[in-house]
Amino acid sequence: MLKIKNLHAKVGDNEILKGLNLDVKPGEIHAIMGPNGSGKSTLASVLAGREAYEVTDGVVDLDGTDLLELEASDRAREGVFLAFQYPIEIPGVSNLNFMKAAVNAKRDHNGQPPIKAKDFLAKVKECSSLVELDGRLRDRSVNEGFSGGEKKRNEIFQMAILEPKLCILDETDSGLDIDALRVVSKGVNAMRSPDRAFIVITHYQRLLDHIIPDFVHVLSNGKIVKSGGKELALELEAKGYDWIKEEQNA
Amino acid sequence: MAVLTDIFKSTLLPPTRRSERWKYSPISKLLNTSLSTDSEAINSGFSKEVDPNPVQGLEAYRLVLRNGKFDASLSDLPVAQGVVCMPMSEVEDGESPEFQNTYSQKEWVGELNESYHQDGMFLKIARNIKLDRPIVIHHLTDGIDVASFPRHFVRVEEGGEVDVVIWCSSTKKSSGMYNGLLEASIAPNASFMLEKVCNEDGEIYHFSHENIIQERDSRFMMHTFTVKGHWVRNELEIVSRGKGTDSIFNGAYLPTENEHVDNHTTMDHTSSDGTSSELYRGIMYGSSTGVFNGKVFVRPDAQRTNAFQQNTNIVADRGASINTKPELEIYADDVKCAHGCTVGQFDLDALFYLKSRGIQEKAAKALLVEAFLADVISSVPSTELRKEIMKIYQERHGW
Repeated sequence: MLKIKNLHAKVGDNEILKGLNLDVKPGEIHAIMGPNGSGKSTLASVLAGREAYEVTDGVVDLDGTDLLELEASDRAREGVFLAFQYPIEIPGVSNLNFMKAAVNAKRDHNGQPPIKAKDFLAKVKECSSLVELDGRLRDRSVNEGFSGGEKKRNEIFQMAILEPKLCILDETDSGLDIDALRVVSKGVNAMRSPDRAFIVITHYQRLLDHIIPDFVHVLSNGKIVKSGGKELALELEAKGYDWIKEEQNA
Repeated sequence: MAVLTDIFKSTLLPPTRRSERWKYSPISKLLNTSLSTDSEAINSGFSKEVDPNPVQGLEAYRLVLRNGKFDASLSDLPVAQGVVCMPMSEVEDGESPEFQNTYSQKEWVGELNESYHQDGMFLKIARNIKLDRPIVIHHLTDGIDVASFPRHFVRVEEGGEVDVVIWCSSTKKSSGMYNGLLEASIAPNASFMLEKVCNEDGEIYHFSHENIIQERDSRFMMHTFTVKGHWVRNELEIVSRGKGTDSIFNGAYLPTENEHVDNHTTMDHTSSDGTSSELYRGIMYGSSTGVFNGKVFVRPDAQRTNAFQQNTNIVADRGASINTKPELEIYADDVKCAHGCTVGQFDLDALFYLKSRGIQEKAAKALLVEAFLADVISSVPSTELRKEIMKIYQERHGW
């Protein structure tokens, strides 16, 4: 589904991704871990199309489409979804209007007519119960005055509504208490399907107790330096990252 | 060729950039033009380009002026118990209104209006009368080098209530000057709502001055929308002369290309326990220029005043600019005054967030603009008017 080859990206003069390779197949969950500053969030931003990042080399191919050629909105229409580490507050734009515009943008892209109000509301009801997002939050301005946990639940709510094929979760566990973590993970697990893939970026093993990955990759200094199964996460949790760095230097 | 000051004589001199009030809104170009009032204004008929009824679907009375002259055939004035509404030209000599404002002694623009004033609306709402529908004053400028000087007078007696819309339009080939004045005095516990929309094609220098006098416990709410206009100066002066008045005045401006929009407001609290709330928002596109100046006076007797003022600007394009200045002068010690003034750009993080959900740039910006304007526009009393204004903004800026 997603093939990243030799990806290089920089912000200003600062090169952050230095030849990253990753191959994600439908139905898989890939966890990306790594020390601070290794490029995890940069990878998420580059995939979603944030303009501040400049891709200097490499290929990102999503089911035959060159993602790097597309604007952020077109990537989303192609099925890429980024759950933000820090979701943005947008006063005055209602959460539901926002979602309706997003759903219709995608339908338009697929040559479908705008969604019927009744169908949309049914979808909203289904998805909000999935992440236990109550009506009060659903109807308010986008993320305005939401707590950290509410914002993250809202991200998963949006993900559920939009039904992307590639979900990128950027440190979705940061700032979450145990209960919120459980709710968010439940939402993600409910969305697992044979034709949907996930890239889960996290610092900590604890999220991976709830969302069980098929692969764990360690990102360090802009490259994936080690890959393994879910047990790699446990090893990292126990031993930290230093041993991998040493392995690299050896 | 005769220039403006030869044709329209005055004691006061036209403002120059040396005057602080006009520093960012020079009128030298206008002064070099040769304008005249249109004496045949009515006989030549209304333009086919502009609908005499500017807000479709709005149930309203209507007073139509073309180049400053009253057009009876297109007007529909209210006839109701306790309501006097007629063109100024039909007011009997003994009944003529006594304007209290001193604008004509202070400013050249005001003096011209005083000396050359044409027709306008004379409106009196009797005690406890609430007019059932708004009155739309539609002023059309149609012609080249036309000067219009409408003036309106409104008096709302105790407990009365009325909503007036002033809508200014002009045809594409028009040029000249619109110099309009409205004075309203609001008796104790009466309400006056005013919505002013400038939607002018062509090249008009648009000067409008509203002077509002509020007595005890009266309510005034105004919205000023500069939808379109070559060069627009909106001046609003509110004097609170009695205890417990409430004044709300909001404005929005979205100029583009080489348009110029200037909003000058003065809120003068002379009496105690008054509240005022002012919110002006602007988005500057293209090479447009803008000015905001908001004065709030809290005089020594105006204890327990609660005054709020905010001006928020987005400079959307590289060539656009805005000069904004809040001015508060507070002489009472037990007051609550807040003011804020910002100039910024579209929130790029918000824009990316919207785009990352599949919403395209243009639509994403439209969502942000609607949200930005919502606080200004949501308090407009009539839904139809609100919709019409948003529709024109949307068409203009291609959201």
